[in-house]
Amino acid sequence: MDGRPLYLEPRLEPRLRSLVAAQNTLHSLTDGLGSPLHVVVPDQIAENLERFRSVYRAHHLSGQVFYAHKANRSSALLRRLAATDAGVDVASLGELQHALGAGFGAGRITATGPKNPEFLWLAARTGVTVSVDAVAELDQLATLVRKHALAPVRVLLRLSGFETTGVKVLSRRSRFGTPVGELELLLEAAERHADAVDPAGVAFHLDTTSVAEKATALEGSLAALELCRSRGLRPRAVDIGGGFGISYLAEREHWEAYTTGLTEAVLGRRPPLTWGGHGYGLRNESGTLRGTLGLYPAHRSVAGAAYLDELLAQPAASLGGRPLAALLLEHLYDLHTEPGRALLDQCGLTLARVLEVRAQDTGGELLVRLAAKADDIALEDHGVLMDPVVIPRGGAGPGGGPVAVHLFGSLCLETDLITRRTVFLPRRPEPGDLLAFANTAGYAMDFHATRAQHQPAARKVAAWQDGDAWRWCLDDQFWPITPLRGAQ
Amino acid sequence: MRYDSITEAIGNTPLVRIDPAVHGLRTIDLYAKLEMLNPFGSVKDRAAWSMAEPLLAEAVEQGSQVVELSSGNTAKALAVIAGMHGLGFKSVTNRMRVPEIKDLLLLLGAEIEELPGQSECLDPTATDDPLTLFHRTLSASGSAYLHTDQYFNARNTEAHLTGTGPEIVKDLDGRVPDWFVACVGTAGSSTGVARALREEDPSVRVVGLVAAKSDFIPGIRTIDEVQEVGLFDPETYDTMESVSADEAIEGMLTLNRRCGILGGPTGGAAYFGAVRHLRALEEESQERRTAVFIVCDRVESYLSYVRQRRPDLLGRPPRQNSPADLSDAEVGEAPSVTVAEARRWIETDRPLVVDLRSSYAYAALHIDGSVNIVDELFAELVRGGLPFSRRQPVLLACPVGEQSARYAALLTRMGHPDVRSLAGGIIAWRDAGAPLVRD
Ligand SMILES: Cc1ncc(COP(=O)(O)O)c(C=O)c1O
Repeated sequence: MDGRPLYLEPRLEPRLRSLVAAQNTLHSLTDGLGSPLHVVVPDQIAENLERFRSVYRAHHLSGQVFYAHKANRSSALLRRLAATDAGVDVASLGELQHALGAGFGAGRITATGPKNPEFLWLAARTGVTVSVDAVAELDQLATLVRKHALAPVRVLLRLSGFETTGVKVLSRRSRFGTPVGELELLLEAAERHADAVDPAGVAFHLDTTSVAEKATALEGSLAALELCRSRGLRPRAVDIGGGFGISYLAEREHWEAYTTGLTEAVLGRRPPLTWGGHGYGLRNESGTLRGTLGLYPAHRSVAGAAYLDELLAQPAASLGGRPLAALLLEHLYDLHTEPGRALLDQCGLTLARVLEVRAQDTGGELLVRLAAKADDIALEDHGVLMDPVVIPRGGAGPGGGPVAVHLFGSLCLETDLITRRTVFLPRRPEPGDLLAFANTAGYAMDFHATRAQHQPAARKVAAWQDGDAWRWCLDDQFWPITPLRGAQ
Repeated sequence: MRYDSITEAIGNTPLVRIDPAVHGLRTIDLYAKLEMLNPFGSVKDRAAWSMAEPLLAEAVEQGSQVVELSSGNTAKALAVIAGMHGLGFKSVTNRMRVPEIKDLLLLLGAEIEELPGQSECLDPTATDDPLTLFHRTLSASGSAYLHTDQYFNARNTEAHLTGTGPEIVKDLDGRVPDWFVACVGTAGSSTGVARALREEDPSVRVVGLVAAKSDFIPGIRTIDEVQEVGLFDPETYDTMESVSADEAIEGMLTLNRRCGILGGPTGGAAYFGAVRHLRALEEESQERRTAVFIVCDRVESYLSYVRQRRPDLLGRPPRQNSPADLSDAEVGEAPSVTVAEARRWIETDRPLVVDLRSSYAYAALHIDGSVNIVDELFAELVRGGLPFSRRQPVLLACPVGEQSARYAALLTRMGHPDVRSLAGGIIAWRDAGAPLVRD
């Protein structure tokens, strides 16, 4: 395996594949709007929503799919979704204002996350459902409602710290939610504030890839709802948060070969695969591998809507072993989900122009500098390893076979590495070429972006297909009725 | 054979020749070392006893809990050993994916902790992985734990260096086999046996088997995961090869059905890997040569693993009166009533209302006066014939009216004159504002 390129080819579904192939369009976009540039594809988000809906339908479940807005600031994506029947999960005052402005009625919005008083007030004022983290937040909300003579606010009680019997499933500690063990206290508060809040159900969001942990939480939520009922409440819904994941890579074999290569490199059995021998969390302790691979599992057999499907099929041991979906249905509960990353799968890419390609005196990898900062292309920040696609300036370009490169950003900082790993490209890039980083819409576009050193943060455009052609406008100019939107 | 303690029955397992008509190798004699016949059921009995025994007296004195990172067999053996000495046992793992094994461990009195999954959003501030935390907890608490540490404990390897390996040589009349084939989990058995055999005859060739990277074979690691094992040294093996879950099950079937050896998937993987490896080498020489592989444990614990991957192997003859036998047309014609009609019907004719949902859902909210017969139980009931008098009208209800339609069609086919399904189910009932009670 030594020396052979270890590719991590991105998974491209037809829409994104077609966009990557529209080379002239992409060059003229960056010529006009600069590098880096984000391109979002709003029609894809509607298609992804439909995949979630079909899982709901297959299980006969009702309830809402709330897009977790935090994952991307794009107006185009949000407005495109406003034209569907989806909801949106907002985690700040700004996001709530954005959602209301994009056309979401309050009935389709749920407010989660840490909340300041203004956020709480606007949510209560407009009639948004509020996911309440703790007794103190419930008290604060009730005080606001009374003081400003608002209508009672629908709330979901956000829980954490679910426990199992038999096999104990350990879970990472969460900053959010009230431990289920303290649910009674939360319910007492809800009863105290019966004039101001309407407890519509319970919620959780666990930051984990583990289906077992989420199944435990969902089972625990059913038990919590039963406790609500036994106290005379009429809960209707359980919100299971997001975290359904994306499979980023086209080939499982690429991921397997790469991670094996990385292991060997860390153990010194092959040349380093990273800048400075970085091990992505792995280390060598006298010949034995220690630590944990701190990478997003970039190839997954089950992600997105399929992950939800798998979760719903898990049996609930404490409730007679029936699948969770059947229990939700039988109890007449609505299921709410808050997919962020998963709804943004294939919804966009980031373009960066190659400024310089430098060979080192010692041979080895080429040093490639891009007109972008690492924080503009934050795949690496999220541990997502995926090769960019080279979009040559002049047709096919010089060719010459595979090369290994390091990708650097434009900041005057040693740490401004677009990727910490050696990237293998099928051919040598040239100044003026574009590198297209696929599937960046979920958290990798604007979540981290800064204007450090007076360098621009990437602009964003929305693009859509019109027959064989790609059309575009500035992200902020996009509305679902934008002219030339073709079939839409 | 008479023993004072079951632990004396560990080891001295049989070496059984596989019929050449089964494996098809012409010049190689293939033997299975039946570690599944150890008293607690697996090759891990040796390691568990070897690691625990010297520490037991002290642990008993201090009332320590025995702990191990184990997904199955080591945990099973340690749970028994701990129990025999009045100690508790805890297994920490995220690899225990076979439900029967979990249940068996709970039955044996073990406590099981599952490690949390990976974070979906990479947390750059996370300092430690769950395993590091586990080790820290152990060392912080001093002597409260007896940690057997199977992936790093030299006594794991030693059990096989002094037991399993020499037994093989003895049963081959003092000869060392030409090949030794073993799956790699903790690497204890393969390393120990390999060392024992090489001491006698350095020309033995050792084949290590791992699970294909994307596959899961209980008890075996993948090529990357073995690197995390302290006992693993690549120099031990002349070659490392991988086996898929399907191949392991295929090998297991051959052992089970054709050899009468009721080994589990790792034994199957070892058999499959051995035959595949040896077949390619058979032409090398016409001399008679010998190979040995290890059958680690028994098939019984893996039925759900097999059911998930090869449901065809567990096929049963079709059942009578099953709703699955109905055609879509029959279900489509099932007698049904709308919520409004049902409410009138209940008023006038008092049909028996049967709620097919789970008892938990029923207990939470139901139609007043209905009885709850959970669908699974109902399926069992009708298998034997009609469970109601023909003169008793019946209204069946489920969440959305799908299952109840099936059963209404089935009961009609079985000769019930007046059974109907509640169209739209309990959800339609609720949405129409009809009363649901909790009593
Ligand atoms: C409350 C809540 N819901 C939804 C999400 C979105 O998760 P994801 O983007 O992984 O689907 C998050 C992310 O942190 C969250 O905190």
